[in-house]
Amino acid sequence: MLRVVHYLNQFFGGLGGEDKAESGPGAHEGPAGPGRAIQNALADRGSVVATIVCGDNYFAENIEKASEEIIELIRGLQADLFIAGPAFDAGRYGIACGAICQAVIQKLGIPAVTGMHAENPGLDLYRRDVYIVSTADSVRGMNDAIAKMAKLSLKLAAGEKIDKPSVEGYFSRGSLANEVSDRTGAERVVDLLLQKLSGSPFETEVPRPAYDRVAPAARIDNISQAVIALMTDGGLVPKGNPDGIETRTATRFGKYSFKGQDTLYPEDYEVAHLGYDSVFVRQDPNRLTPVDTMRQLEKEGLIGKLHEEFYSTTGVANIVETMSRLGKQMAEQLKAEGVSGVILTST
Amino acid sequence: MRLELHNVQIRDIRFGNTTRIQDGALSINRNELRTLLEKDRRFGQVDIELARPGEKCRIFRVADVLEPRAKMETGGEDFLTFAEKHSSTGVGKTCALKGAAIALIDLRKKGGVGGGAAPRDDIIDMSGPAAEFSEYGKMFTVALLPQPKEGVAATEYLAALKLAGLKASAYLARVGESVPADETEVYDLPSLTDMAGGAEGLPKITYIYQILSLQYEPIPGEPTLFHRQAEGIMPTILHPNQVLDGAITSAFPGLNTQTYRIQNHPIIKELYKRHGKDLCFAGVIVMVAHNNVADFDRMANIAAGMAKWVVGADGAVLTKTSGGAPELAMARTAQRCEQLGVKTALAMLHMGADYKDAKFGALTIFDIPEVDAIVSMGFPYMKLTLPPVERTIGYVGHTPGEPPPEGELEKPLGSLCGSLCQLGSSHLTAIRY
Repeated sequence: MLRVVHYLNQFFGGLGGEDKAESGPGAHEGPAGPGRAIQNALADRGSVVATIVCGDNYFAENIEKASEEIIELIRGLQADLFIAGPAFDAGRYGIACGAICQAVIQKLGIPAVTGMHAENPGLDLYRRDVYIVSTADSVRGMNDAIAKMAKLSLKLAAGEKIDKPSVEGYFSRGSLANEVSDRTGAERVVDLLLQKLSGSPFETEVPRPAYDRVAPAARIDNISQAVIALMTDGGLVPKGNPDGIETRTATRFGKYSFKGQDTLYPEDYEVAHLGYDSVFVRQDPNRLTPVDTMRQLEKEGLIGKLHEEFYSTTGVANIVETMSRLGKQMAEQLKAEGVSGVILTST
Repeated sequence: MRLELHNVQIRDIRFGNTTRIQDGALSINRNELRTLLEKDRRFGQVDIELARPGEKCRIFRVADVLEPRAKMETGGEDFLTFAEKHSSTGVGKTCALKGAAIALIDLRKKGGVGGGAAPRDDIIDMSGPAAEFSEYGKMFTVALLPQPKEGVAATEYLAALKLAGLKASAYLARVGESVPADETEVYDLPSLTDMAGGAEGLPKITYIYQILSLQYEPIPGEPTLFHRQAEGIMPTILHPNQVLDGAITSAFPGLNTQTYRIQNHPIIKELYKRHGKDLCFAGVIVMVAHNNVADFDRMANIAAGMAKWVVGADGAVLTKTSGGAPELAMARTAQRCEQLGVKTALAMLHMGADYKDAKFGALTIFDIPEVDAIVSMGFPYMKLTLPPVERTIGYVGHTPGEPPPEGELEKPLGSLCGSLCQLGSSHLTAIRY
């Protein structure tokens, strides 16, 4: 029978409410609170031998130290399987569940499962490393969460193949696999369309991504005083690509000065980008990064000043996380350099 | 419009004194074919190599694959299936050599075992795991290797390469005309105005088909649509038989789409199969994927309006071509269809997806609520280990430091010609765990 250790915060562990949130971790024999339902769900395949209870604030304020203390507690219990929560939409609790599961997997090498709501901040921090079961936002989803967590835990402990997220009820961890369907793409797309037309429920194979919505910055009121910068994801770099910007899925950007120049000269630049035909840019880099036109507007007084470095990276086949990070870094530097507006050119 | 395919099954391939088919064996007069292709002044010498299924042979730098086809009973009017005049494209009889393929080898570049940073689907293994993923590894293959003539521009060479494929296609398939067919396939579909006769109760389905992406500069003179470069076209209605019978070739660099697939278009064949049973196949709308927002919108509006008001479609299947940007053009077109009341389903490869992107879990680069029915046909980054081979075709100019081309190679699916397909031939589907 599997030896299972369960983790709860002060509230679910029965210590008390916010007033006990500073409590350090402690191990108690047998199941407690939701652990009893977990014990029922595991039935004769596992035994909840101990429950570790820790205050949310204690954990949140000392994540590394608290993790180490909890790992030591679990180590002494010879656990085969670790279950944390479910945390529902409780943020500090969710982060604690995710962090401890991650530590258990990495340091103790045993499977660990937790559960939380899609909006829990713990989700994006730990979903790559930890199976996190999707739960309701509150304790009314307890039964459903525990059923899914117990089932998934037992599969993991038995080394069985874990089915796709929609079947098992966990949040995808990001890895992508090509699998073989019983029908060709052509057969499936026609089936899908006919299903949709018949008005019966249909299941897309590709879920809609949840891209962040970005609120545009406030407009520039006094453009004739503004410092405007140029930025591109078209991969324009000085000859030799000094920052080694990758030609696809770039992880970095560069800033390149054209101080004192009214234009960009083709002999000074190359293009590090594999997603478009760059011949016209190489003939005249101003086609991508219009320094010549901006200098003209600067002379006419339409803008205050052209920032004398352009920012460049490569957008091809890139991922949102990387581009968000680069974007933030670029924005911070532009602000620090006193730039009031930026023109982005894409390809 | 009625098209009959006179299918001759090829079971072996060899060089011989006469180009002919005997007992399923295609014999080729190497010199005659070479002379025919060398008439093109954009080429120097044209080599021809053969490869058989199961052989430990690896073909590099495959730019396109075609099925040998020739029009029959045209009174000698046209020489090519892909005739310049296109007087009979989609009607009458066409001879097809099944199980045979012509591989066009682009000899402009040297080396390339390691591949560039961007994988091109340009390798065919005739055995091993790659041949399991790609049906081109299971074909009796005639590889054409034309040397570019000194001073000939890349675009001129590529246009000539495509034309050489079409010439060889007709040259080889012509010898199948006098051989009894192993199988006859008939594609018969009335005009749009007669279409619903007897099929009023069935949903009218059109296929909106991107045939070219302007991500890359189109090659002047490359025959891609009715022997012209399709670059400037507005969305256009075609009869599906015209697509099957040589109206369209895969425009370079046709990522994961070869002319062979268009000749055997999986979605068109599927719609045909179900015509009169589950649906009424209401034509094909071909369009170009543009590279700017104004044209995305313009072309989407035209194509969707055509589906709604000209074709009268209830539903549309959409596919894309090439890499990431055409995905946006496809999605925009689907959205416009939905807004006009034409229901849509899309099938796509995830060229823009990255397996590392857990947070967004994104398999599309668009996020449009109306576009809610999408079939996944896989992603290109899955790695495959290709075992060593005994000989290679199309590999020239080994670069020092590169692994030997005959050796074991690790390659992503996206490098293996025919393993992925934008037009629905494969069984692959991407699942995010």
